[in-house]
Amino acid sequence: MSTTRKRVYGYLAEFKSASALYKAAEKIRDAGFRKWDCYSPYPIHGLDGAMGLKRSILPWFVFFGGMTGTATAFTLAYSTQVVIYPTVVQAKPANIFTIPAFFPVMFELTILFSGFTVLFGLLALIQLPRLNHPLFASKQFHRATDDGFFIAIEARDSKFSPNATRELLAEIGGANIELVEEED
Amino acid sequence: MAHHHVTSADIAIDGDHLDNSKVAKVKAIAMGVAAVGTLISLYLLFFAPEKISGSFAYSWLFAFYFFLTLSIGGCFWTLLHNVSNSGWGTSVRRTFENLGSTYPWMFLFGIPLLCPEVQQYLYEWMNTHRAATGDVKEYLHHHDHLLYNKYWFMNLPFWYGRVIFWGVGLSLVIIGLRKLSIAQDSDPNPGTARLFKARFHSTYTLIIFALTITFTGFDFMMGLDYKWFSTMWGVYLFAGSALNSMAVIILVCAWLKSQGHLKHVTGPEHFHIMGKLLFAFTVFWAYIAFSQYFLIWYAGITEETSYFLIRNTGNWNTAMIVLVFGHFVVPFVILLQAWLKRNPKTLSIMAGYTLVMHVLDHYLISVPERGISLGNINHEVFGDIQVSIPGAFWGDILAFVTIGSAFLFFLLRAIGQHSLYPNRDPRILESANLSN
Repeated sequence: MSTTRKRVYGYLAEFKSASALYKAAEKIRDAGFRKWDCYSPYPIHGLDGAMGLKRSILPWFVFFGGMTGTATAFTLAYSTQVVIYPTVVQAKPANIFTIPAFFPVMFELTILFSGFTVLFGLLALIQLPRLNHPLFASKQFHRATDDGFFIAIEARDSKFSPNATRELLAEIGGANIELVEEED
Repeated sequence: MAHHHVTSADIAIDGDHLDNSKVAKVKAIAMGVAAVGTLISLYLLFFAPEKISGSFAYSWLFAFYFFLTLSIGGCFWTLLHNVSNSGWGTSVRRTFENLGSTYPWMFLFGIPLLCPEVQQYLYEWMNTHRAATGDVKEYLHHHDHLLYNKYWFMNLPFWYGRVIFWGVGLSLVIIGLRKLSIAQDSDPNPGTARLFKARFHSTYTLIIFALTITFTGFDFMMGLDYKWFSTMWGVYLFAGSALNSMAVIILVCAWLKSQGHLKHVTGPEHFHIMGKLLFAFTVFWAYIAFSQYFLIWYAGITEETSYFLIRNTGNWNTAMIVLVFGHFVVPFVILLQAWLKRNPKTLSIMAGYTLVMHVLDHYLISVPERGISLGNINHEVFGDIQVSIPGAFWGDILAFVTIGSAFLFFLLRAIGQHSLYPNRDPRILESANLSN
């Protein structure tokens, strides 16, 4: 008999519909859990509120990412077009007051840098890409991309308890409650 | 954020009506000011010494077109809501329609601009046309070849025909759509027929709207200097119109809400969306305004640059720079905040601020031309060409207050006429339970 001990990831429970998931999420939020998540085949309006999620910090990253883009473009255009090699077209001057000519570049780099910050900031915040996830050990979890609505409460949550958490999930309508253990 | 789920039990079965006695006093004052102001204005336009009537013609044009853009914007939001099959805004759609319904009334204030006595100070091309002896085209061929080339568009019969069409066309559109919407309020068996009918009729009439905002801009504003043209002009005026009519809609909805109306059917979600639209059109206005400036600045064509040369001379330049920061940079940064858009009070402050900037925008569109045109038209009476005419500012205020009071009166009258939201619209519950 093998004696390898597997680390417990947490409880996975299935709910029968999007609205059941929504109502269950509100109850788990009110019970004070922090390390848990909902899994659904499609986005559910207002679920972030029902889960008690705070606003993401991502907009602030994007704001400063965008500002960096603006500043980069201005520096690039100003140093090349005014300082290093002024290009005189139609006798137009090259100085700080010709900044409208730089606006398209400044605009584009603002968008580009914002876009990069959104993509890479988002990937960093949700910790992707990753090779595996402990929930993949569950046999029923693949249905989260088809017709299953799941809630997983992690064992590392300070409120987690082997019996009480299971009872809570059963009480709020969870079915097929399963203790998920990490593989290896 | 668990809020009460709105059901049909929460919807007032016979609609939510404004108590007209509450606004009777404001309406009476507004009507009184508008009536007295109109009489004084008509005197100033037609019977006052030439020096005054000349500069007052510009004041009138400025105020007329400013409020017209707000009404046209009301028509735009109504049409867009119908044609895009939207569900979010059903509970505020009646406010779109009420704002749009002021259009026929506001257009009536343009009647003085149809009279040659007023036109002679505004539209120099008409003076040349009227001075023609014999065949107009032949005359222009010898006197002003530019006007000869533009004759197919800039000729008096076509101008009058167009202006009448702008007035009648969009009026019929908005009156029809509002009637259709109101008929639903008292229908004992409300169905989807009117909803689909409104959607169908909003498709092609959206074209009438687009032509109206573009070509009233051409006929009334761009025509102030017949040599000048800009292909961005229509979309520039549209951007300001959509932005500021949304500001008016926000103010009206916030006011109704503070009076205890629109209960259950509107909430932070609706203000959030309207705030997003306010934000989006702030950016759109800046995008278009800059594009227009940029293209003209880069190309450096004499006929085109005149517009910005005039407005970057003297104190107008300060005002133009204020416009860049005040109309774009400041509201852009402030409106980025999500919480601010969800709160009717803070959003109303931003909507009011946007309207003030719209006044500045339209002042800079219509008034800087005054000192130049009048000096060109009659040197003896108006003196040399000047950057601005001293004292003419008082006329601008008079015209603005007069037409503004009329606008307020007709808007309050429309708001008080029917239910404040379409209480039997099939989508009212969808709208009330909005989440975005």
